[in-house]
Amino acid sequence: MHFDSIANLQLLINGFAIGSIYALVALGFVLIYNAVGVVNFAQGDFVMLPSYVAISFLAPSVAVFGVQMHWQLPPLAVYLLVIVLMTGFALLFNRIAYYPLRDRGWMPVVISTIGVSIFLRNFAQLTWGSQPLSFPSPFTADTIDFGGLHVRPQDLLIIAVTATLIMFQYVLFEKTSLGKQMQATAQDRTTARLLGIRVGRIVAFTFVYSVLLGTISGLLVAPVFTVTKEMGGLIALKAFAASIVGGFGNIPGAIIGGLTIGVVETFGGFYISSAYTDAIAFVILIAVLLVRPQGLFGERVAEKA
Amino acid sequence: MSLGRKNFLAAGAAGAVLGLIGPPSIVLGAPEPIRIGLIPPITGANALLGQQEQDGVKLAVDEINARPDKVFAGRPFEIVTEDATNDNQSAVAALNKILGENIEALLAPVLSTQVQAMAPVMKTHLIPWLTGGTAVKNTQLGVDGLFRLRASDAITAAAMTAFAVQDQHAKRPAILHASDAFGTGGADQIVANLKKFSIDPVANEQFPKDTKDFTAEILKCKSANCDALLLYIQNPSDTAVILQQIRSLGLSVPIVGSPSLGNQTALEIAKASADGCYVGLDFIVGANSPVATRFVRNFSQQFGHAPDVGSGSGWIYDGVYLLAAAYAKQKSTDPKTTLATLRATKDYAGVLGTFTCDGEGNMIHQISIGKIENSKVTLVKKVSA
Repeated sequence: MHFDSIANLQLLINGFAIGSIYALVALGFVLIYNAVGVVNFAQGDFVMLPSYVAISFLAPSVAVFGVQMHWQLPPLAVYLLVIVLMTGFALLFNRIAYYPLRDRGWMPVVISTIGVSIFLRNFAQLTWGSQPLSFPSPFTADTIDFGGLHVRPQDLLIIAVTATLIMFQYVLFEKTSLGKQMQATAQDRTTARLLGIRVGRIVAFTFVYSVLLGTISGLLVAPVFTVTKEMGGLIALKAFAASIVGGFGNIPGAIIGGLTIGVVETFGGFYISSAYTDAIAFVILIAVLLVRPQGLFGERVAEKA
Repeated sequence: MSLGRKNFLAAGAAGAVLGLIGPPSIVLGAPEPIRIGLIPPITGANALLGQQEQDGVKLAVDEINARPDKVFAGRPFEIVTEDATNDNQSAVAALNKILGENIEALLAPVLSTQVQAMAPVMKTHLIPWLTGGTAVKNTQLGVDGLFRLRASDAITAAAMTAFAVQDQHAKRPAILHASDAFGTGGADQIVANLKKFSIDPVANEQFPKDTKDFTAEILKCKSANCDALLLYIQNPSDTAVILQQIRSLGLSVPIVGSPSLGNQTALEIAKASADGCYVGLDFIVGANSPVATRFVRNFSQQFGHAPDVGSGSGWIYDGVYLLAAAYAKQKSTDPKTTLATLRATKDYAGVLGTFTCDGEGNMIHQISIGKIENSKVTLVKKVSA
C-alpha cells in the first residue's frame, strides 16, 4: 500500500464528513443524558423520520400509505416545515416516552425509548413502504474536482453545518440564560428547581434540541445515503460509541469523539482492512475505556468508601 | 320477544354444533387449500426484497387460483407467511413456526445466509424447499429437497469475470463485495475464475452490513489502479449508493455487477451513476421468453410498476408455478412425490429461463449480461454454464 497524499486528503475530508454526522447524533445522546440521566435509544430514528417526512414533500412522487404524493415543495419551505413538525414530535416524545416515567428510575425510560425506536421503524415501513427512497441533492454538481481531489459539495455542507451548530451551541450554553438554565438542570435538577428554573420546560426544550440535531443530521446525510428505515441505526451506534469515547455527558467530548471515530474508521478501512471498518470504532472505544475509563474529556468519578 | 329456557338451550346447542362443523363452505365440501410456506424478509434492511417476493407470489397464486385447469383437484393455493427479517436467528425462528402450519412446500428466503442458517432444521423435514439464494454452498448443504430457482453464483461470477476479462479487456480488476454469505461466496467465485485467466485481483474489498460510507473501499480499489471493478452485492440500495460514491470519487473504470445492480430500485436511486455499467442478470425485460414477457405485463398491471429483474419477484413466481405443475402432473401434493417430480424437471419454460434440475437441485443454468443506459438494461449476451 503506497501513501498517496491525494488519497489521504480525500479520506480526511470524507472521514470528517461522516464524523460530523456522528458528532451531531452523539450530541443528541449527550444532551438528553445530561438532562434526564438516560440513554435515548431512539436517537438514530430521529435521523430517519425527518428524512422520510422531508422527502414526502420534496420528491416529485412519493407513495405515502400507498397513495402517490406529488407535492414537490421548495426545499427551504420543506426544511422549515420538517423542523416545525419534528419540534412537535419532540414535545410528544418527551410527553409520552419520558414524562410519565420520569420518577421511576432510568430503566423504564430506556425501555420506553427502545419501544419508540421499534415503533418508528415499523411506522416508517407502513407509511412509506420498504422501497429505499432517493433524496434530491440541493446541489447540481455531484463533485467539485481540483488537483485529483473529488469533493462532494454535500460533504462540505455537512462539515460547515456541523461547525456552525457547534458554534451556535457554544453561544447558547455559555452566553444565554436559556443555555445556563440547561446546564444547571443537567448538573442538579433539584437545585435548579430551587433556583426557580422551570425544570420541566428546560427538559422539554432539551428534547426538542436533541431531536432537531437528529433532524439536521438526517437532512444532511439523506442525499448521500438514500432514505431507508434503517439509515439511523449504524449512525446511532457509532455516535453512541463516540459519546463514550469523548466521555459520556461531555459535550466537547461528543464532538471530538464523533470526528475521531469518523476519521479513524475511514483511514482504518483504507490502510488496515475495509472488512473491519465498523470494528475499528469499537476497538477505539475499548482502547479508550481501558486507558481512560471516563473517556477523553470525562471527569473521573470516585465513590466514597 | 322473550326467549324461554328451552329455546335458549336449543339455540345454544345449535350454535355449538355449527361451531363444531364450521362455516357452510366446509359443510358443502369446499376443497382444502394447498398450503405453501413463505419466509420473506418483511421487516429489516432487506424488506424491499421481501416485498418483491410477496408480490411475485401473490401474482402467481392469483393467476393459478383463477384458472381451474392450473389448480390441482380444485384446491386453491394458500400462502402462509412468516417474517424472516434481516437476521439468521429470526429466519430460523420463522421456519420453526411455519413448519407447524401444515405446509406442503416452502418458498425459502432469497438471502443465502438465512438459507444456510436454516439448513440444520431443513434437514429434519422432507418437503420441497425452493430458494432464490444464489450462494454456491446452498445446494451443497446436504438438505434433501432444496432446489435453487436462480443461476448460482458460480454461473453468474464466471459470466461476469469472463465478460470483464474478455470483453472489457481487464488486466487489473478489483472486487468490491458485501461481507455476507452472498457477497463473499460471489467474490470467491470471481477470484477462482480470474485465476483461469492467470489474473489476481489488485484489490478485493468487502464491507459489513449497513455500511453507508464506502470511501475507504472505493479509494482502495482506485489507489490499486484497477482497470475494471466487479461488484458482488445483494442489497439494491447498497449497490445504488456505492455506484453514486464510485462516480463522486472519480473512479471511472468499467463496472460489472451482480444481479442487484440491475434491480429496478437500484437503477432508480443510482440514476446516471449506473449508466455504462454491466450486470449479470437472471433475465432482462424484453429479451426473454414469452413466459417472461407475460410475467412482466401481468406484474406491471397488478402492481403498477415493472418487476425487478430476478432477485425478488421472478424466481418465486416461477417457484409457485413449478409446484402447481408438479401437483397437476403427479395428481397429489405428497411431498416425497413432489421432490421426485421436481428432480425430474427438464426444459420447463419459466420466467428466468429454461429449468432443468441437476444432481444438486440447481434448476437454472444460464445468465444474461446486460448494459445499463438511462436506467434501462439491454441485453449484451447470454451465457450458459
